Amino acid sequence: MSLLQEVWQAVKAIGTGMATVHKRVYEEAPTEFYPYVKPELPPVSVQSLALVENEDGSERCIVCLQCERACPAQVITIERHRNPEGKGFLIDRFDIDLVNCMYCAACVEACPVSSIVTIQDFEMSTYDLQTLKADIDFLHEQARRARQWYSPKFGVELRTDDGRIEKAPPEMQPGGLAEILKPAEEVDS
Amino acid sequence: MSTMNLEPVPGRTDEMIVNMGPQHPATHGVLRVVLGLEGERITRAVPHIGYLHRNHEKIEEARTYPMVIAYTDRMDYVSGTQNELPFVLAVEDMLGVEVPDRAKKIRTIFFELYRLASHLVWMGTAMLDLGAISPFLYTFWDREIILGIVEKTAGARMLPNYYTFGGVRRDVHPDFFKDVADFLDHMERRMVDYEHLVLESPVVHARTKGVGVLDQERAVARGVSGPVLRASGVAYDVRKAFPYDAYPDVEFEIPTSPDGDTYARFWVRFQEMYQSIRILRQLLELTPKTGPYKGRAPARLKPPAGERYRAVENSRGELGVLVVSDGSDKPYRVKHRGAAFSNLQIIPDLFVGAKFSDAIAILSSLDPVFGEIDR
Amino acid sequence: MRPIPIPEDRHFRPRLIGYDPQKSRPWLERTVYAAYVFVFWLIVIATYAGVPALFGALGWDGGWGFVLMRVLQVVLLFLLSAVIALLLILVLRKYLGKVQERFGPMHYGPAGGIQTVFDALKLLAKEDFVPAAADALTFRLAPAVTFVASFAMFAVIPFASGWVLADTNVGLIYLIAVSTLSAYGVLLGGVSSGNKWALIGALRAGAQMVSYEIPLALVFLTVAVWSGTLRLGGIVDAQLGLWNFLPLALPFVLYVIASLAELKHIPFDFPEAESELIAGYNVEYSGMSFAFFFLAEFVELFLLPALIVVFFFGGWHGPLFGIEPGSLAAGALESLYFTLKTAVWVWIFLWIRATLPRYRDDQLMEFAWKAMIPLALFGLVLAAYMRLIWR
Ligand code: SF4
Ligand code: SF4
Repeated sequence: MSLLQEVWQAVKAIGTGMATVHKRVYEEAPTEFYPYVKPELPPVSVQSLALVENEDGSERCIVCLQCERACPAQVITIERHRNPEGKGFLIDRFDIDLVNCMYCAACVEACPVSSIVTIQDFEMSTYDLQTLKADIDFLHEQARRARQWYSPKFGVELRTDDGRIEKAPPEMQPGGLAEILKPAEEVDS
Repeated sequence: MSTMNLEPVPGRTDEMIVNMGPQHPATHGVLRVVLGLEGERITRAVPHIGYLHRNHEKIEEARTYPMVIAYTDRMDYVSGTQNELPFVLAVEDMLGVEVPDRAKKIRTIFFELYRLASHLVWMGTAMLDLGAISPFLYTFWDREIILGIVEKTAGARMLPNYYTFGGVRRDVHPDFFKDVADFLDHMERRMVDYEHLVLESPVVHARTKGVGVLDQERAVARGVSGPVLRASGVAYDVRKAFPYDAYPDVEFEIPTSPDGDTYARFWVRFQEMYQSIRILRQLLELTPKTGPYKGRAPARLKPPAGERYRAVENSRGELGVLVVSDGSDKPYRVKHRGAAFSNLQIIPDLFVGAKFSDAIAILSSLDPVFGEIDR
Repeated sequence: MRPIPIPEDRHFRPRLIGYDPQKSRPWLERTVYAAYVFVFWLIVIATYAGVPALFGALGWDGGWGFVLMRVLQVVLLFLLSAVIALLLILVLRKYLGKVQERFGPMHYGPAGGIQTVFDALKLLAKEDFVPAAADALTFRLAPAVTFVASFAMFAVIPFASGWVLADTNVGLIYLIAVSTLSAYGVLLGGVSSGNKWALIGALRAGAQMVSYEIPLALVFLTVAVWSGTLRLGGIVDAQLGLWNFLPLALPFVLYVIASLAELKHIPFDFPEAESELIAGYNVEYSGMSFAFFFLAEFVELFLLPALIVVFFFGGWHGPLFGIEPGSLAAGALESLYFTLKTAVWVWIFLWIRATLPRYRDDQLMEFAWKAMIPLALFGLVLAAYMRLIWR
């Protein structure tokens, strides 16, 4: 008898399994139609890096080399010289090897002025890896094409149609912005 | 047997030397096992690893402490933030950093989410190895939801680089708790289906019961850990034995099975998924919606000279790290204790004498991830 | 180094052919399937009614004319098998897609309807590669053997009353002989490939064949005993009152299991076993040789369900709505019934494929020798007794 029971159990289990599989036919597939419909990524999503300029076209970056020091993959190369008139430094060279970059966003976190930011242009496929050895023009171009970007210091920023840079409304901001806006002491206490 | 390359035995014509891997579909990456086959029966088995070697530990010694976290992610790439935790814990111990309670809970939520994700990947690929295609696509869709939740907060899906000394890098997304709760509801519904398709399927029973039995002594002697060890009847779990983060605050059980066969390993992983859901439900209740997410860590990270070993219970077992500091801003030595690496050692024991098809089932039940094994 | 400037829309976007993102259109899909079935049906009618009528009208139905007619019919049947393969691969991919929460082919043709045609063209265009370690002659012969062995089964399949190429009195024996041959193709292909995985696949195919062929033959015998004839048309005729799957329930179940094994279909696809043997016996094949293995597989996926229908589900029987039996219209209707019944069984096979994992090969052998053969013998004796008592 137990043999028959076993057979019955097996048949029942196979039947249940087949029913489980078949019921998906009536459910909607969660497929994303990627090349036709671009996915909406969360604003903090790290897909590529860009170097943001100010609205007047001047450099936001103060060439403090923080990002170069923070980069685990050591793919950022910055050369600078002292500004002959006035304070600070000027950029000679700002290269990021986006091929070897591991998109950890440590550089973005380190930047004191939110000059280097993460953007969501993930369509970086190319036939020639040399195109991804980004220099400063490339990084500026990435920022000019981007509609929005993110950095931990300033949160999400938007580029309006007339080229101005605006802080995104609070509902677009990711978590932790309340803490970002508060002075640092409050956070730690 | 001890030689690396399996030479044919002179005068023996009934044994065929087959090279399984490194491009074999069932080796979960780049394992290579040289098998001596006598018909379908395996007479000898020599595993070869190292095809994905990236020299992690040495690279990490040349990086400052915060940089290392990004590298640890790349070990067990299926279970994301779980790899960061042992290193973060060890350095926090050395620095004496206070971690806020809420940060601990958020870390644990991520930890358990990734356990679910990793076990889902295991389930899909194990069923694919056994020949069923559909569960693979179902589990990957569920995992996709988890990765979406993680991406919303941490900015990346598989390698989020999210934990940091003293807590987490940024606060969770406002929708986070709701998303997780919704996902758990979804997951509970799906678990019923997975039970039907995996645990209850008579074909799975036929393929896994009594196959690849690992007895308790050998499991302990070989240093396996995680679900593989617990399936052999040893109730060792780092989460209970050496609790870390928010695990002392939550209730959960350690599922064990006395059988030690492939089915037991399947069963234990399944029960762990239920336990993960249970832990996550409790943590959603316990975690305050707002509050500090990061303690104060020194700006220049220079732990005092000394060494520290911390381990966590990752999806595959005990993932540990030994950090030796010489007082500079770079670790003097970082040594990872990989769970999948240790579990892989039992391959020759379990393979020899098994059928070739059994070997595939056994390998899938060990759930190796080669990013971590080859490091 | 200056990076190459990136154009605004730098990414390849596939053209939209019969494709609407975000939407699955079940009715369009069903129309596509119906169109394939319609083509299938037309070819069947042309083969079994059109060609004989044409030759009859021309007065060529004797001597060489008869041979020519048969050749034409075989050519049409080859066309039929191509249509079957195209349709079944499409349905397989679509159905697997549906149950796996995805869409399956969507891009070419209405609802992806001509995707498989493109796939076939791709295979035609590919290099037919013979590895250096292979035995070239056997290697090239094996797909042909497999395909011919499956294709030869068409000779005795009755699509409607009288619609059969060879209405021979030994139809069942012919079937047993021919269906066994297809395993030879697999064996030859695997052994001659010069690849260890292919060799293991071939060994498994051989071991599998000796285990499932015996219960299969015993079930054939049971059907013959119950119906009192070896002629397939006669077997169908004998089911006029009662379809065989009720009195012969046990042999029916055994037949379904054995035909899964004969098809090398999940849960018994050991000779291929992608995750174990990579692709088993056909791992070294490419281009058209591979396509012929594929064609043979899908022709068998049609033929074995068709045999289930012939043996157990009353073949072409169905309501005729007062059409005079034997006429063209009646034949057409009957062949449609036959096709639809077969389609249901094909779908069940695909459904099994979507659900189950794979057994281990020794488990099939154990099951075949220890359970199926005794049960098949028992079914045979039972059928004989039942026939003595009731008929
Ligand atoms: S994302 Fe990480 S790896 Fe890439 S440049 Fe920034 S710090 Fe370096
Ligand atoms: S950290 Fe920011 S400001 Fe400093 S060099 Fe890098 S991009 Fe410029």
